[in-house]
Amino acid sequence: MADASAVAVRRPRNSAWPSPASLILTAVVVAGVFAFPWLNPGYRALSFAVTTGVTAIVLYGMAIPFGQAGIMSLGYAGLMGFGAYTAAILSRDFGMNMWEAMPFSALVAALAAGLFGLPSLRISGHHFAITTYVMCELLRIALINGGKFTGAATGLDLPPIGTVLGVKLDKLSNTYLLVAAFMFISMLAAYCVARSRYGRTLRSIRENEQLARSIGVNTNMHKVGAFTLSGLFAGVGGALQAYNFRHISPDLYGGAISLYFALMVMLGGPRTIFGPLAGAIIVTFLPEVMRVDPVDSRIAYGLALIAVVMLLPGGVIAAAGRGYQWAVRALLGTRPKAGSADAGASWT
Amino acid sequence: MATLEIRGLRKTFGGVVALAGVDVTIQSGEILGIIGPNGSGKTTLFNTVCGVYKPNGGTIRWNGVDIAGKPSYAIGCLGLGRTFQQAMSFPALTVRENVQIAIEHGSRRAHGLGPRWSSPEELLEFVGLGGFADEVASVMPFGNLRRLGVAVALGGRPAQLLLDEPAAGLNEGESVQLIHLLRRAHELGVGICIIDHHVGLMAELCARLAVLHFGNKIADGPTEAVLNDPKVIEVYLGGDE
Amino acid sequence: MVTFVQELVNSLSVASVIILMGIGVTLIFGLTGIINFAHGEFLMLGAIGVWVLVGHGLGYVSALVIAVAIVGLIGFLLERGLFQFTLTRPNNGFMASLGLSIVLQHIVIRIWNSFSKSIPEPLPGVWQVGEIRFIKMRVVVVLVTAVVVAVTFFTISRSRYGLALRASLADRQTAALMGIPIRRYVTAIFTYGSAIAGLGGALTIALFPVTPFVGSEMIMLGFAVALIAGLGNVAGVVGAGLILGLVDGFSGAYGTPEWTNAYTFGLMVVILIFRPQGLFGGTMGPAIE
Repeated sequence: MADASAVAVRRPRNSAWPSPASLILTAVVVAGVFAFPWLNPGYRALSFAVTTGVTAIVLYGMAIPFGQAGIMSLGYAGLMGFGAYTAAILSRDFGMNMWEAMPFSALVAALAAGLFGLPSLRISGHHFAITTYVMCELLRIALINGGKFTGAATGLDLPPIGTVLGVKLDKLSNTYLLVAAFMFISMLAAYCVARSRYGRTLRSIRENEQLARSIGVNTNMHKVGAFTLSGLFAGVGGALQAYNFRHISPDLYGGAISLYFALMVMLGGPRTIFGPLAGAIIVTFLPEVMRVDPVDSRIAYGLALIAVVMLLPGGVIAAAGRGYQWAVRALLGTRPKAGSADAGASWT
Repeated sequence: MATLEIRGLRKTFGGVVALAGVDVTIQSGEILGIIGPNGSGKTTLFNTVCGVYKPNGGTIRWNGVDIAGKPSYAIGCLGLGRTFQQAMSFPALTVRENVQIAIEHGSRRAHGLGPRWSSPEELLEFVGLGGFADEVASVMPFGNLRRLGVAVALGGRPAQLLLDEPAAGLNEGESVQLIHLLRRAHELGVGICIIDHHVGLMAELCARLAVLHFGNKIADGPTEAVLNDPKVIEVYLGGDE
Repeated sequence: MVTFVQELVNSLSVASVIILMGIGVTLIFGLTGIINFAHGEFLMLGAIGVWVLVGHGLGYVSALVIAVAIVGLIGFLLERGLFQFTLTRPNNGFMASLGLSIVLQHIVIRIWNSFSKSIPEPLPGVWQVGEIRFIKMRVVVVLVTAVVVAVTFFTISRSRYGLALRASLADRQTAALMGIPIRRYVTAIFTYGSAIAGLGGALTIALFPVTPFVGSEMIMLGFAVALIAGLGNVAGVVGAGLILGLVDGFSGAYGTPEWTNAYTFGLMVVILIFRPQGLFGGTMGPAIE
């Protein structure tokens, strides 16, 4: 039955180790991110960098149910809100610092994520996405009307993070480094999930749910599990955000913000290592730092999203990876080896 | 030897009776074929047995365990595998990943199941897709896709495999190769039960045939006898030009 | 009692706009499968269009007609230029429409600004029936909506043309084989639905001031109404819209205004989970196969 005329398509093999090119790229990115404070960026840029980092953490969480299992949820700002408000309330009522509150934030957000993910078992695709958007808005309304408990529309205040390993975190650059560390941990975690057996199982659900069930995959459990896992990331991000900016309010966690999260992760590419980070940087960091008019920048990335969705599936990073491969081939005149992995591009 | 006992199985969709009380016993030792006109309930039978539909009556016992009404993934876990009428795969994944996922889910099961595969490559060699491991499933020619479907089902370590028209869309040569593949699988210890319309293929492969008609089983026995049964000829074979 | 009836009419006028949104959503989403998150922006563009034209001295009615026509044209162009390519990959269309809604909102903000805009009352005054005062403009809104609903219902839901349309959209391959121009139907419905949303916006600005964000405020209500009723079910949208408009209006007047949207959203979530085909059943459901 082997059709001799079938052209063998060159695809990266899921080899055990990433290629030298992607290792180098990763090292460059890590070095660049950590070296940033020493480039004299200024308070404003550093502050936006912290926001970007916190956002990227949530996006890496999103990469698991969305990038791997293929289910889009527009409720992640709400999950982040669960984390942030848990931290704020614990710090206000029990005097907890960030390290004590963060596990609770992560847990609460994970439980909420699992709960909000349950409808995905009954309703499909965009209907589920709309439902999550609506649930996020419901949360925001509940927070505004929560009276003293949630601080209502004004929100809540928090104390600073405190010291970690003897390093004082009152300097913004130290906070930045802390957030950057968390961000890389999230990146690594998401990468490990994607490369693992668990990631393959989630991808099988995205590709053909019925077939996955026939070979014994408990698709319902895995879907809810993927959401729960993503909630952990959102909770951590929310706690970091809360203690970093010292003030949170319901408008930070509404449906519109969730839309921006979805935009970022789609723009960057949910199935690439650097996609979520790139999406966060493009949407959150670049416009502010380049002092682009906020209205113009939103028009720009709205258009960018349309362009990416229609023309560059997989996001900007995946397209960049393809461009890189094309350039390598053009410059070196070589054919890519069957086992070569795309540098920085699709990990799945 | 694994046994699938179906007794009095009923399945209705609104007013339509797809299965009207079907009794059939499938043993992994012999290759059973199920034939019948379109609409006779063959695919519905597989879907109901495998948990895609919930039965409206009757019992299904797999190796003594009552599986009627269980969710399809649970049944897949118990060593009852299947393929589908449409050629199914995980389209964006490579051929290797397709079977790797199946093997990963087949490997941690209770004992008493079908043959184990030590690696995706071993399984791919067995079905004849050894050279295609790195190809993306969606670009594969149809014949290879059919083989891949069988491979994925085998990866789950089934003790019994229910194949729904596995030769549909294949030409003569490919169908013959498929028969060889299924025989080899059977020799390895995987029970084979197959629905198809290629009467010639069925005659060559199957020791026993069961015939469905409007949701009822109207014949069940050794292949020769069933193919010569006047009821069967009237309902199904006689119409063949 | 007097207040009650007045509140009733007020709520009906709010419900009317929601119904117009809901009809657009249910037709486009329910019949063509195109999911357009930017649908609310059509409402916004209708309102802004009227505002601009009235600002240039046009009478309200002319402004309304022109604005609705322009919005319809924009819808037509978007369908041809963007959405028609997403028919086979609806998730792509959804995501693209997210981007589109951001783009449209911010283009409007760029050209004008993000502050609220209003027009002088096109039809000031009230009609007095006994003790009850009916605000004229609101009655007009309700009447216009009723006409649109009737027209939609009879051309799409009931007429032979409409039945053929719905059947073709339910089974495109067969219809295409029969030579029915599916693409044209999809374009027509998309344009019509967008124009109706524009009409809703044109009517809204006659009642209240409008900001460029009014679209995203209304789109969720439109989706909620369409999904609660059941996609593709025009009569259902009217029913659900009336209920929700009344809840909206009365909770605003008598009850807890802060929770108003929450009731609608909550109901939508509950129905989607427990009865995905909608309260009244539709042509296309969100349930997983």
